[in-house]
Amino acid sequence: MNVEILFAVLTGLPLTILITLTALGIGTLLAIPLLFGLRSTNRTVWFISRCFVDICRGIPPIVWLFVLFFGVSVGSARLSAFAAGVIGLGLVASGYLAEIFRGAVKAVHAGQWEAAHALGFPATSTWSQVIGPQVLRTALPGFTTYAIALLKDSSIVSILGVAEMVFTTSQLARSSDLGIFVYAVAAAVYIGLSVPLGVLSRSLDVKLRKAVA
Amino acid sequence: MTSGSFFYDFIQYLPQLLEGLKISLMITGLSLTIGVPVALFLAFGVTAKRKALRWFCVAVVEVGRGAPALVLLQLAYYGMPGAGITLPALTSAVLALSWTAAGYMAEYVRGGISAVPLGEIEACQAVGMKRPDTLRFVIIPQGLRIALPSLMGFAVMLFQATSLAYSVAVPELMSQAYSIGSSNFRYLNILIAAGVLYAAISIPSTWFSVLVEKRMNRHA
Amino acid sequence: MSEVLGPQQRGMTIPSQAITSSFPLDSPSAVLGAPKVQVSHLAKAYGDNLVLRDVSLEVPSGSVTAMIGPSGAGKSTLLRCMNLLERPDAGTIQIGEHLIDVAKGIAPKNLAALRRSTGMVFQTFNLFPHMTVLRNISLPQQRVLGRSSSEADEISHRLLSRMGLHDKAGQYPNRCSGGQQQRIAIARALALDPEVMLFDEPTSALDPEVGAEVLDVMKELASEGMTMVVVTHEMSFAANVSDQLVVMAEGRIIERGDPKDIMRNPQHERTRKFLHAVMER
Ligand SMILES: Nc1ncnc2c1ncn2[C@@H]1O[C@H](COP(=O)(O)OP(=O)(O)O)[C@@H](O)[C@H]1O
Ligand SMILES: [Mg+2]
Repeated sequence: MNVEILFAVLTGLPLTILITLTALGIGTLLAIPLLFGLRSTNRTVWFISRCFVDICRGIPPIVWLFVLFFGVSVGSARLSAFAAGVIGLGLVASGYLAEIFRGAVKAVHAGQWEAAHALGFPATSTWSQVIGPQVLRTALPGFTTYAIALLKDSSIVSILGVAEMVFTTSQLARSSDLGIFVYAVAAAVYIGLSVPLGVLSRSLDVKLRKAVA
Repeated sequence: MTSGSFFYDFIQYLPQLLEGLKISLMITGLSLTIGVPVALFLAFGVTAKRKALRWFCVAVVEVGRGAPALVLLQLAYYGMPGAGITLPALTSAVLALSWTAAGYMAEYVRGGISAVPLGEIEACQAVGMKRPDTLRFVIIPQGLRIALPSLMGFAVMLFQATSLAYSVAVPELMSQAYSIGSSNFRYLNILIAAGVLYAAISIPSTWFSVLVEKRMNRHA
Repeated sequence: MSEVLGPQQRGMTIPSQAITSSFPLDSPSAVLGAPKVQVSHLAKAYGDNLVLRDVSLEVPSGSVTAMIGPSGAGKSTLLRCMNLLERPDAGTIQIGEHLIDVAKGIAPKNLAALRRSTGMVFQTFNLFPHMTVLRNISLPQQRVLGRSSSEADEISHRLLSRMGLHDKAGQYPNRCSGGQQQRIAIARALALDPEVMLFDEPTSALDPEVGAEVLDVMKELASEGMTMVVVTHEMSFAANVSDQLVVMAEGRIIERGDPKDIMRNPQHERTRKFLHAVMER
């Protein structure tokens, strides 16, 4: 009985993971140009990036999802629920990740830039050889924390009817009189995923810190 | 302004949207009012010496942070009746979000407390201050101060998370927007209007929390 | 050597009460007052690391003891054992009338009494950043000695004036320079009327000019007869202000006696090496 419920809930897990990873990918891809935009000395570029980031973060994911789902059409075809979901979550993620990356770049010691400049590094190799690798390290804790948050936010896509974990859970809860138990199982699955991920990221962080420091 | 344009819809439905916004803000306020004291308790509880208390607090924090707010919301509203407890939608939303808030904020408070420099605590010991005094005058005020920017940032997240109460039919901003949209079928206009209202609160609040953080770093 | 010990250095002069040359090495208490601090057979280990190995030390009432030695020698640990910020594994500690025998356990009452009778000044000041300067000094008086807030404030103001900082009362510590912060920390400790003041490298975090302001205050305190134990790298302070020099290495006191004697003629190879290294700087 318990195991049956667990398996039923888990049928939604692959979609939950797919949504999370796709949105994380979209968010990361968008966040990289935004990072440079936020650091730009060109006021127009900076301003557009700043607005983009703030709007992405300032509107709740569910509103993004509905806007994309109900409001955006490509030709006569509307976006699918899945597409609206991952694009919406990806947009929100891009704003948060751009800020995480910006903070990580700022955390690289000023002396590193100076050393790279003093050695006459061109901008590209300053980034690829000196700053980039250090940013990857300093951004890691924030990035994984956000990825875990995104795993949980992916549940919002259930509201559009995508059959991920919370969708299967609420279907199941509706058809049984053990609703509370079904939801508790779903909660346990999310916790069971996010706690080890958190532990993994912390130990990875410690390892990298040792490797770099 | 022609009927059906964005601005027309925005102006026409603004009162109804503001009604929803009021409820969104109320849920935020109530969840913080419950969440902050609970978080403070949990922040100390997770390092308590008594095992039962410690594990209880760790469990409460991990569920609050680890389970999606949406799951807690639906559990409180759709799940509880099966267990013989039926809560009004608003109450269940406040309780679920309070739990989420308490879990996250407990971590921020704990982070703040552990960032209080050891030297200051030693200074208290060196002058002979008792533990409760040290907590009251140095550790808690300093810890909360250090945690303040994260707590403010979280309050904005919590405000946005109230939009999830749409799924349990609380008439907050998102629900109002959706019900207007399903009556006039101009979803895009009205959803953007709701987005504008969310952003109008979230963006300045986020700026403010960043400002507070910067000021604190400057004075630290 | 003369470069470091020169009396003009940092505007210091040899205080008249400094006792020189014929200081009897093994019984300083014969010359000065009865011991104010008496530490006997103190031992402390962190895991396998023996940080203090059977350390005994007397500090005569009204005298200044300077403690030097290489980093990691255990100086801070010894100092922090004196007010039980660090709990020794064995030994006894006596400050004034308060005796603590580690073997017999430490009652909270005795711990409180010991802490009250010692004042401590840290390398990093450790002022409370969320309180004004005045409150930093007044709050401990209110909470520990039960003074009324007006009485405490009055004492705080008086101490601040003595430190030349009366205009800083309403400011927050981070608005003050390092030298000012350290003098505020000294005032905070003095406000509780300690019998002994413990200083752990009070000037190490400061620029030399600023450190001199702090050293001047400490000198004045010494001349008023405060019993002081000072861990320091300021060799001119050790030479000119202290009555007793203690050299520590690897958890032991390897040499102890008149500061100038030791500096001129160190008995121990470790001392010689250490002094040499310090002079080089
Ligand atoms: N809290 C601690 N935990 C473990 N080892 C410590 C601790 N404090 C000091 N030590 C060790 O004790 C030794 C003496 O330290 P300390 O008293 O600070 O030396 P000093 O002040 O002479 O430089 C060092 O080897 C140091 O690593
Ligand atoms: Mg030390």
